[in-house]
Amino acid sequence: MEKAIKVEHVSKRYRLYHNAKERLLDLITPKEYGEDFYALHDVSLTVEKGDIVGFIGTNGSGKSTLSNIIAGVVPQTTGEVNVKGDTALIAVAAGLKNDLTGRENIELKCLMLGFSKKEIIAMEDDIISFSELGKFIDQPVKSYSSGMKSRLGFAISITVNPDILIIDEALSVGDKAFAEKCLDKMREFKAQGKTMIFVSHSIRQMKDFCDKILWLEFGMVREFGTVKEVIPNYEAFIKEWKKKTKEEKDAYREQVTAKQKEILLKK
Amino acid sequence: MGMLSIDGDSRCMANTIRKGIYMKSAWIILKEQIEHFYLIRRLSIYELKSKNKNNYLGILWEFLNPAIQILIYWFVFGTLRGRAPVEVAGVEIPFFSWLLAAFFLWTFFFQSTILGSKSIYTKLRMLSKMNFPMSVIPSYIIFSQFYIHLFMLGFTVIAFQLMGYPINMYYLQLIYFIFAAYCLMFSLSLITSTLSTIIRDIHMLLNSILRMMLYVSGVLWPLTLLSDHPKLVTILKLNPVLYLVEGYRSAFFGVDWYFITHWQYSLYFWALIIVLFVIGSTLHVKFRRHFIDFL
Repeated sequence: MEKAIKVEHVSKRYRLYHNAKERLLDLITPKEYGEDFYALHDVSLTVEKGDIVGFIGTNGSGKSTLSNIIAGVVPQTTGEVNVKGDTALIAVAAGLKNDLTGRENIELKCLMLGFSKKEIIAMEDDIISFSELGKFIDQPVKSYSSGMKSRLGFAISITVNPDILIIDEALSVGDKAFAEKCLDKMREFKAQGKTMIFVSHSIRQMKDFCDKILWLEFGMVREFGTVKEVIPNYEAFIKEWKKKTKEEKDAYREQVTAKQKEILLKK
Repeated sequence: MGMLSIDGDSRCMANTIRKGIYMKSAWIILKEQIEHFYLIRRLSIYELKSKNKNNYLGILWEFLNPAIQILIYWFVFGTLRGRAPVEVAGVEIPFFSWLLAAFFLWTFFFQSTILGSKSIYTKLRMLSKMNFPMSVIPSYIIFSQFYIHLFMLGFTVIAFQLMGYPINMYYLQLIYFIFAAYCLMFSLSLITSTLSTIIRDIHMLLNSILRMMLYVSGVLWPLTLLSDHPKLVTILKLNPVLYLVEGYRSAFFGVDWYFITHWQYSLYFWALIIVLFVIGSTLHVKFRRHFIDFL
């Protein structure tokens, strides 16, 4: 099988500063200031062409960071990312200009993706009808509800026909009917053999739609495998997690991050 | 608590002593500008549109603002306090005409430099991808100002017909000076937009510097007032904006081919542009992958 996405030992480090002085000193002096925080730590992942991979994990586990890195929006700190083909990232209201109308945003967005004027005109009607915005299409985007924004974002991203589609919780804000429509479109893409990455909290949608699941925990891969392998474990984990008190949760987090540091030190 | 991440390799600009990287960066930027010229033009139109969406008069404000500004100067210097006429290459020009010739060049420079400096950190969120040719961002911001400048230039030309300075052959050098101005503003913006994205204070500093520069760029008063201090004049002449300002005046009043009669000054100007452009490109190319981390 052809590899569509290859992520090798990717880490993403952010540096946390306590104040502006530390930040400045870190910037202009060779000495390091501030505290390291790893949003992703040594993540490796191979996605074959035509696979649909779901990213799961609790809040702050690095799902969005990883999808942003694969989409090429955010650079990784270390490691290699190889992506074959065009990617399109669909996140809630990503990159829409509030002062422009929906129609102008379509044109602008497509322009930035490198389409010519002719191609944009050809695509515009499809995008408008898919977004179901009706007469709102000529209203400024700032008057849109979050559901309408994500509908527009989704409509643009799927119409430009990318090789790899990354959907970051974009379906959670729209209504059921639109989410269903999007899922239909995604099934269509699935049938065409497109590669997709799906970030969502809805286990039901994951089961319904994905082939494989990547379970992230505090920036590390906890499990990667087929839906049948991973989802039951994850569900069991979530059940336990919900029962835990805040103290227990914090203790668990400490435990895992301590393990992370250990691995770091070994290197 | 702020979040920020910097790669080990982008940590120290001083470490980049590898030769060739400068030329390579400059070449990358130049290629991006040429390949994406269509994109720059289209985006600049959207920029003008979205900026003025909320005003009833819309884009008209872009022209009204500088027009009102020069009216104020005309009122203060032209009528309230009559200023002595200024000599341009031996020709005596009334003060207000002299001011008008280069005033809109200044507003063009001022606006482009200010907006160019903050262009990257304000527009970056809009981009969906990092492989977007980012050097296009300051460029299209300047280009949107260029449209306004063209309009103001048209206004100036009409005003001069009425003031008794008809269109002459020397107008042709305006094309050269507009291009030179564009090169200066773009090179500067490459530097300032990168630095302001990393350290926002740079933008504030630039704001103050530019306000000061209005008074030393030969826009409001002629440098000939300082003819007793030739050293000071030489120092002030290092300012590349002065070169453009003088060039515009030579064109409008039809006195000479400024860039030829002052060829040493032309050489200095372009040498400076090359240096600024190479510095700007190197900084831009080095940091652009990480811009998003600085937001």
